[in-house]
Amino acid sequence: MRIGRIKMIMWCFLFLILFSLSEQDGQQTGVSQCGPQNLIVRSLDQMLLAEWKDNASCLTLNEPILYKMAVLIENKEVYSDEVSVTPGDIGSTHSWNWTSHMPLQCASHTFRLKSQINSQMSLLEQENTLRGETGSGLEKVFPQDAVLEVGSMATFCCIVPDGEQFDKMYLSGSTGRNMSTTQISEQRYTLTVQLEEVWDRCVDVLCETKEPTKRQYGSCVYVGYPPDVRDLQCETRDLESVECLWKEGRDTMVKVKSPTVYQLNESTCDSKSNRTCKKKFKVEGGKKNWTLTAWNKLGKVEIQDAADLTKRVHMLAPHELTVADVNARNASLTWRWRVQQYSNLDLTCQINITHTQRYMEHGVGLNATVLINLRPNWKYKVKVRCRTAQHFWKWGDWSQSVTFHTEGDVPDALDVWMKKEENQTVIVWKMPLDKQSHGDITEYEVTWATTGDLNQLNKTRVHPSVHRYTLCADTSGEHVVTVTARNKHGSSPPSNITIPVISPNKTSMNTSWITGSNGGFNLSWFGSPKASCGYIVDWVPAVGDGPVDWQKLRPSQTSIRITSISSENLVDGLRYSLSIYACTQTSPVLLEKKEGYISETRIQENLFNSLKFKWNGADVEISWDPVPLKQQSAFIRGYVLYCQDKSSHSIRVTSDNPEDTSLTAKNLKISSYTFTVVARTAVGECGNTSITAALNFQTDSFIKTFFISLGAVSILLLLITVLCYRHWSCIKQKVYPQIPKPDMTDWLTSSVTNVHPYLLKDSSHHAEEHMDIPQLLYKSGEPLNNNTHRKQMALISSQTPQGYQNLHLDTSNPNIPSLPVFSNPMYNLPMLGEDRTPTSELKLQVKNEYQPQSLAEIFRQNQTDQDPISFVSEYIMTRHNETT
Amino acid sequence: MAGIPTRGMRGSDLRMTTVARAAAIAAQLQEECSILIEHYRKKENFPPDVSDGPLVSVPPPSSQLDTRDKLWRLHSALEQCHSLLERAIAKEEEELGGEEKGEYENRRKTVKERLLFLLNHTRELLRAADGSSIFTPSLDGSELDDPATLFQLKWWVYRIFMEVKYWSQTAIAVLQELQSDTAKTPSKLSKRSARR
Repeated sequence: MRIGRIKMIMWCFLFLILFSLSEQDGQQTGVSQCGPQNLIVRSLDQMLLAEWKDNASCLTLNEPILYKMAVLIENKEVYSDEVSVTPGDIGSTHSWNWTSHMPLQCASHTFRLKSQINSQMSLLEQENTLRGETGSGLEKVFPQDAVLEVGSMATFCCIVPDGEQFDKMYLSGSTGRNMSTTQISEQRYTLTVQLEEVWDRCVDVLCETKEPTKRQYGSCVYVGYPPDVRDLQCETRDLESVECLWKEGRDTMVKVKSPTVYQLNESTCDSKSNRTCKKKFKVEGGKKNWTLTAWNKLGKVEIQDAADLTKRVHMLAPHELTVADVNARNASLTWRWRVQQYSNLDLTCQINITHTQRYMEHGVGLNATVLINLRPNWKYKVKVRCRTAQHFWKWGDWSQSVTFHTEGDVPDALDVWMKKEENQTVIVWKMPLDKQSHGDITEYEVTWATTGDLNQLNKTRVHPSVHRYTLCADTSGEHVVTVTARNKHGSSPPSNITIPVISPNKTSMNTSWITGSNGGFNLSWFGSPKASCGYIVDWVPAVGDGPVDWQKLRPSQTSIRITSISSENLVDGLRYSLSIYACTQTSPVLLEKKEGYISETRIQENLFNSLKFKWNGADVEISWDPVPLKQQSAFIRGYVLYCQDKSSHSIRVTSDNPEDTSLTAKNLKISSYTFTVVARTAVGECGNTSITAALNFQTDSFIKTFFISLGAVSILLLLITVLCYRHWSCIKQKVYPQIPKPDMTDWLTSSVTNVHPYLLKDSSHHAEEHMDIPQLLYKSGEPLNNNTHRKQMALISSQTPQGYQNLHLDTSNPNIPSLPVFSNPMYNLPMLGEDRTPTSELKLQVKNEYQPQSLAEIFRQNQTDQDPISFVSEYIMTRHNETT
Repeated sequence: MAGIPTRGMRGSDLRMTTVARAAAIAAQLQEECSILIEHYRKKENFPPDVSDGPLVSVPPPSSQLDTRDKLWRLHSALEQCHSLLERAIAKEEEELGGEEKGEYENRRKTVKERLLFLLNHTRELLRAADGSSIFTPSLDGSELDDPATLFQLKWWVYRIFMEVKYWSQTAIAVLQELQSDTAKTPSKLSKRSARR
């Protein structure tokens, strides 16, 4: 038995030894039964996720298991890694992930897993492959619809369908840098690119194949940024919730594809709320942290704020604002709170009323106030907002505005002044503004009395549209005038003014000039001790009956700027008269008087209406009427006379005296001149008025001399005529002695004297042709007689022994009618013998040049010697009578 | 307004007026669609033509179709175009973002409204021909394959625009033919509908 037992023990021992040896041999060759099992490989975007478990043989191990993994892309190992699993973790599920540089759809990704225990490789090995996409339809580019970060390196791949040949891959637009294309297998290509910013739209990744199939495949990806949030501020509005606000920084540019999700302290916010997140929260004292998380597909951002919300109360607006007990100058205002807890807070409220300054009210749970210092008869709008009094965080929201109208009241005291018009005083007052009248003015009341007897009041009522009253009072004494305005609520407080005495022989105060600047007058003066109650400055247009305006100033104020804003009706180019008065306890005292323009403007052309000129030898004086003030839109500082002749030679004469009404230009030449008078002003020479005159003083004297000479000659001729008339007989005797009549008695008595001239008969020219008649011809330079009209009387008397006729030989003047030629019947008388022709006697007469006289003697025995014309005239008349 | 009878007009005159108006609208739609396509093509850098098949499903054109059948075919196609366009706009706004109303969005809206206007006219003409309500193909979502990716969506939209343009051109041709037919035999459509 013992031997048997020993044998058995020895065999067992041997077996154990052999077993242990065999184990040692196994370990020594690196083979282990422990290894991975249940390997699952999944993809998430570009990430490869692997999960596995240890098999049952590993459970007994007290040593760590070393897992070795490798990733193969298209059967090429691209990555390897090791993970050690401690004995405590053996039996649990292990996971491992790895992010590929390319989308997992682009190529087959194989995950290979081995285990090793004490340098002994397990016989078990697990491998799993994620097959790449083969592409369907147009989906040949991967990833599709991805959201990628600006600046990142992205890889896209294109799976070229069978039968097509890759051409190129690119990004549309210029949205990528450092682009490179790689072929990873026969039909698979990748494009690696660094992405650039694209504004809020997706970018096409395009893959084109070559001809003849030539197609375009693509994917559209968004490129943007992770969320950018900052400045988180948390507060409470209702003391029952927290409301956090933040600012958005850079736009993510992927809102469409990957909207940002927000969480406040890990509680998701309402996506519709813009930059705010509100959560229910019981507000208690003490600081609390608030974390806002914002994320999209590109990243996650967290910002924080720490606050005691009891000190961050942002109040909601008061509601049900009500105005009650409205009087003329005050009203009460109440409101309510939607949040009950506000009633326990110490509040400061701001009341905003139109036309007045905001004012504050304080109080616990404040919900009412009294509005004071309101204007009577005035429309107001009021609104309220509040905040906590102790820990000022923010003003709450404004309430809705409410409108109310105050009651009316008596008018305010009037602003009264006076205006002197000749020897009258006009009381003027400013029309009360709405804020002063407190209701419609129904009338004004003016009362006045002399200062000596204030009890004797005069009173009158003035229509509400009239704001002046001409005082019909004795101007030799001071008067106190009182003006009040009345509306339906009563009379205003009285406004008094003391009217000074208007002295008939007053000496007018010197007036100085003032020039406006920037649309107004700047007036300043020395303070006067008389001005116990201040100063009054008034201004009125210097021309016409313009309205007076005035301002009353404090005693300390000795300067004022008068502008169109402070006064209506201030017009450029209109002269104003400005007066400064001292306000005294009695009547105002005039201190200074000025005249000026707000802005001087150019005086209109043709200013000088009645321009006259007067010359004195070579000097010309141009004069004009004084320029009316109404036409002066600027101060006239003098005048200029321009004398311009035809050759544009100009003479300039100036005057610095605005009172001048004439200017004289001296030593002018004989020419035609244009005289132009202009007024000199601060805005230049203006008011040009011209006249033109021809200057010729030599011609003038010549004419004068000519007429004098003519007069003298006329007088001389008259004297000679008178003398001649008086001494005519003497002259006649001397110059024109009596010629004795020729003795022709026999001849005349026998033939001529018995023949009546009327018996003269016309004879024809034929007869003339056959007659040898001696002619008495007029020859130039041989006057027949001084008293004869030569042309008209150029008759030829022809006599023949048998006929006698007159021929009109003057053909030089066709206008002279031809006198008829009559034959002298006398010569046809039968008793006249041929031998008794008077030829020789007639020739003698012609020689002696006494033709008229001889003719008269022949044809008219009564005819005088001096009047041959009468002879002709009578001769014609005779013929006329005969024909008739 | 289309479809509102004008007082004092005879039926044939009214039809003529409607046809003329519809033709004018079709011409306007074609022009506006061309501008939209050009704008879109430049924006997306797309080629000028698309080789993919039609999105609108209607019976094939045939010389045996009479004018009324052609009108019905046209109307059916325009209905589908309008439906597609509405879906495209909605999808674009959803997937690609369309809050900002730029030039493209305005042009797209104009085309859609013009298409609807044309559709009302063709419906009116069909009613005049049939005297009863007309059958129009329904296009609910199940019948259409929405694009799966953004890139496909862009192409899909482009193809829809092309489709609208094609059918606006077809509308011009059909309506012109109808115009000349109506001028020749004013009551042709009515008679035919009566026979049916």
